Amino acid sequence: MWRQTLFWVIVSCILFYMTIPAIVVVMTSFNPGEILSFPPNGFSLRWYEKALTYPDFRIAFRTGLIVALISSTLALVIGTSFAFLVVRYVFPGKNLLEGILSSPLIIPHFTTGFGFLLLGAHLNLNQTLTIIIMTHVVLVLPFVARAVYVSLLNIDPNFERSAANLGASPFMVLSRITVPLIIPGMAGGWLVAAILSLTEFSASLYVTASRTQTLPVAMYNYIREYTDPTVAAVSALLIIATMLILMLANHFLGLRKILAIDSH
Amino acid sequence: MSKRPFLIPFLVPAILVAVIFLAALAEILQYSFREFIPGSLDVGGFTLDNFARIYRPVYFKAVVNTFVLSLATAFFTLILSYPIAFALVRTKVEWVRTLLILLSITPLFTGEIVRTYAWMLVLGTNGFLNTMLLDIGIISEPVTFMYTRAGVVIALVQFAMPVMIIILATAISHINTDYEKAAANLGARPWTVITRVVIPLTMPGIISGFIVIFAWTMSAFATPQLIGGGKVLMISNAIYLQGFSALNFPFAATLSVIALISAFASLALMKLIANRLERQTAIH
Amino acid sequence: MNISNSGHSVDIVEVTKTFANVTAVHKVSLNIRKGEFMTLLGPSGCGKTTLLNMVAGFETQTSGAIQIDGKDISDVPPYMRETGMVFQSYALFPHMNVFDNIAFGLRMRKLPAREIKAEVERALDMMKLSGMEGRRVRQLSGGQQQRIALARAIVIRPKVLLLDEPLSALDKNLRLQMQVELKELHQKTGLTTIFVTHDQGEALSLSDRVVVMSRGEVQQVSAPIELYTQPANGFVASFIGEINALPKARCQKSGQDFRFEVCPEISLNGRQPARQELKDGQMVHIFIRPEHIEIAGPRHNGANIVKGNVAAHIYQGTHTQTRVNVPGIGLVELRTKGAAAIDQAPLGSEIALSVPLDEAVILPA
Ligand SMILES: Nc1ncnc2c1ncn2[C@@H]1O[C@H](COP(=O)(O)OP(=O)(O)OP(=O)(O)O)[C@@H](O)[C@H]1O
Ligand SMILES: [Mg+2]
Repeated sequence: MWRQTLFWVIVSCILFYMTIPAIVVVMTSFNPGEILSFPPNGFSLRWYEKALTYPDFRIAFRTGLIVALISSTLALVIGTSFAFLVVRYVFPGKNLLEGILSSPLIIPHFTTGFGFLLLGAHLNLNQTLTIIIMTHVVLVLPFVARAVYVSLLNIDPNFERSAANLGASPFMVLSRITVPLIIPGMAGGWLVAAILSLTEFSASLYVTASRTQTLPVAMYNYIREYTDPTVAAVSALLIIATMLILMLANHFLGLRKILAIDSH
Repeated sequence: MSKRPFLIPFLVPAILVAVIFLAALAEILQYSFREFIPGSLDVGGFTLDNFARIYRPVYFKAVVNTFVLSLATAFFTLILSYPIAFALVRTKVEWVRTLLILLSITPLFTGEIVRTYAWMLVLGTNGFLNTMLLDIGIISEPVTFMYTRAGVVIALVQFAMPVMIIILATAISHINTDYEKAAANLGARPWTVITRVVIPLTMPGIISGFIVIFAWTMSAFATPQLIGGGKVLMISNAIYLQGFSALNFPFAATLSVIALISAFASLALMKLIANRLERQTAIH
Repeated sequence: MNISNSGHSVDIVEVTKTFANVTAVHKVSLNIRKGEFMTLLGPSGCGKTTLLNMVAGFETQTSGAIQIDGKDISDVPPYMRETGMVFQSYALFPHMNVFDNIAFGLRMRKLPAREIKAEVERALDMMKLSGMEGRRVRQLSGGQQQRIALARAIVIRPKVLLLDEPLSALDKNLRLQMQVELKELHQKTGLTTIFVTHDQGEALSLSDRVVVMSRGEVQQVSAPIELYTQPANGFVASFIGEINALPKARCQKSGQDFRFEVCPEISLNGRQPARQELKDGQMVHIFIRPEHIEIAGPRHNGANIVKGNVAAHIYQGTHTQTRVNVPGIGLVELRTKGAAAIDQAPLGSEIALSVPLDEAVILPA
């Protein structure tokens, strides 16, 4: 029995370590003073007010949202069709293409970002939304492709054969059978991609300018200039929003499934 | 009627993305061989000088630093993640499982900046940790966490953990619990069951988790930038310094090439070691 | 549903299928007649599914041709072949309910909604599934899923019905029941049917003709009775039912009578077998089924008697299978009614067996 207790004590300590930054951020965000202090000496919403009205953050949030929606949707389309090719077809250069498209997982984001900065300069797309979206598509594509790939592997190829046997043309098989069966994987992949794009920092720092900066970049610039807890308020809002989205995703899609943790 | 009717329409976008990505990487490679013209964003002709420059101690140190910090982070992440992953897979109480998964996965999705900023609040001289320790009386004056390697690792480990937990939980959930029951039935104590059965069976997960976190940490940027504050220099920070402070794009490109090469080289090295390990511990 | 006069013939002509380095099907030729129930029987991996997949168009043959009503269909894509396939796993679409599953093929044919509804209802009725339209397929039992898969395949009025081990996922009782239903369905619809199984009981009881396959090649094509009584070769003889294979024997001919020298001590007498013309001095294989061997008694006149020791009794309810170790031959199995043999011939005791060759299968070696 004491072993169990000890185990759960250890687990709780580790969880405390994992959550303490979030707790401190939320505490700080309600701090009335400019100087951070623990424990907080009062309760105030002034930093939330500042965060929500600060023009840089407002614009950056809008830009980031647009970038995230467009790039995760593009990644969904491209990633889904690519995963379909990988699972169903054999074609020359398949492994090479797979390797290239999944390499952003290993290649540091700042390298990717720097490369797109230089490419943008070359193409006269310097720090435009176009080049930012291109960067984000490259970065989130492996996540979508992976999620769809797993869903595709999990469907019995006989479903598709059976549909063809019943008279469905390849397009009909795809739209009536394959896509409906992988919708949860696509939804999970899209969600992960959108969140990753929204919060991406290292590459975005390179490819954005002050006009086109996304929220994490704007926060970074703020931290370097000011020490007041406005960023704590933004962070607290982001943490809470993330938790809510994850809870919803867990409820509707099952996080264990999206993350492919499944006991048998 | 083609046997692969979707090949072309599905292949074209993927190839397009691959080509754009390769073009971006090619730009870096191209810049790394160009001459830097101080005070100008234009670059000069072909040169190998940039590569000669990386032998300077400061850059060499950044490479070593990156390697050491990544190893340390992967190690501590592994140690701290295993119990959580184990609890996550084996708890039978549904709300505990949901709580564990939410708490351990959320940091993955809040982004580098939020997490790093949060750790600045925790680790600062007047931050949460120092205030607590002073109040309790464990220390009599603030400890410096900021601008130290320890501080950077503390922050890096926390946000590497979600990924490690996912990988380990997957590995643990694939073990048939009958093995553990059989071991216990044969007289093994719980601790022995863990060390002799569970850990060896999850070795592939442990190894791949370690490698993934190692690679992931090599590309950390915001954390060493803000918590290291220029005192803990990783390759990423050196590149940023060259690119944005000195506006020396060619040399920043050279450092990026070095970062890429060292990322791939150390991954290859770890894979090699991992294969050895896996062959030794393989149970099939 | 009246599709009784819609039978189509299927011809498989010298079809070979090679995967990377395995030849899954080798020079198979079969003519399946209109309305015939033809079964492909053979051990696992002998190429049954591959052959069926080629008829359905999921695989392309390496060489040879497949014809329906004499027309080569090799270039017709699966979705235009008009074959109705039932998979071993049923492959019912999990995101659709029962009605939508059965209606799928009709919708692909763009039939008007009213007609689809009527057809689906008729199919449900025929498969005794009325009232299940709205159910999710996951909530159904194995037998119900099986029926839906059948209904889905026949509702499109296929030219040929292809069944790939459709009963193997069912438990024994249900399987027997479904065998009866399949037979009835076939009689009602008159559909040309190719049925795949590795269960010989199923094959013998359902089929008009059975194709025995081994390693991608056809061993024999016959009606069930002929398959059992006149196997074409050793593989078929030992694959269908149980049979004793005696050691190679030399044949001595004297007029209409034959003597087979199994070993120096044992010779058996017999007559000219139905199929082969045997020559004097020829070597032959003799196969004899356990139910044709008897424990020797007064009514046996001394010919074709061999002696051995009882090695085992296996009691199986209606009969007992007895294993006897016969010097010069090896283990011989015989089958006797009830349990009498167990008392009559205790383990280890010596026993005399009558081995008549009247119904034995004698094949040239
Ligand atoms: N897609 C494939 N690639 C390579 N080899 C294959 C493929 N499909 C089948 N084979 C091989 O062809 C042979 C015949 O396989 P097939 O599935 O037709 O056997 P089967 O008679 O249906 O067996 P079972 O009774 O187990 O279903 C086997 O050796 C199999 O390994
Ligand atoms: Mg098969």
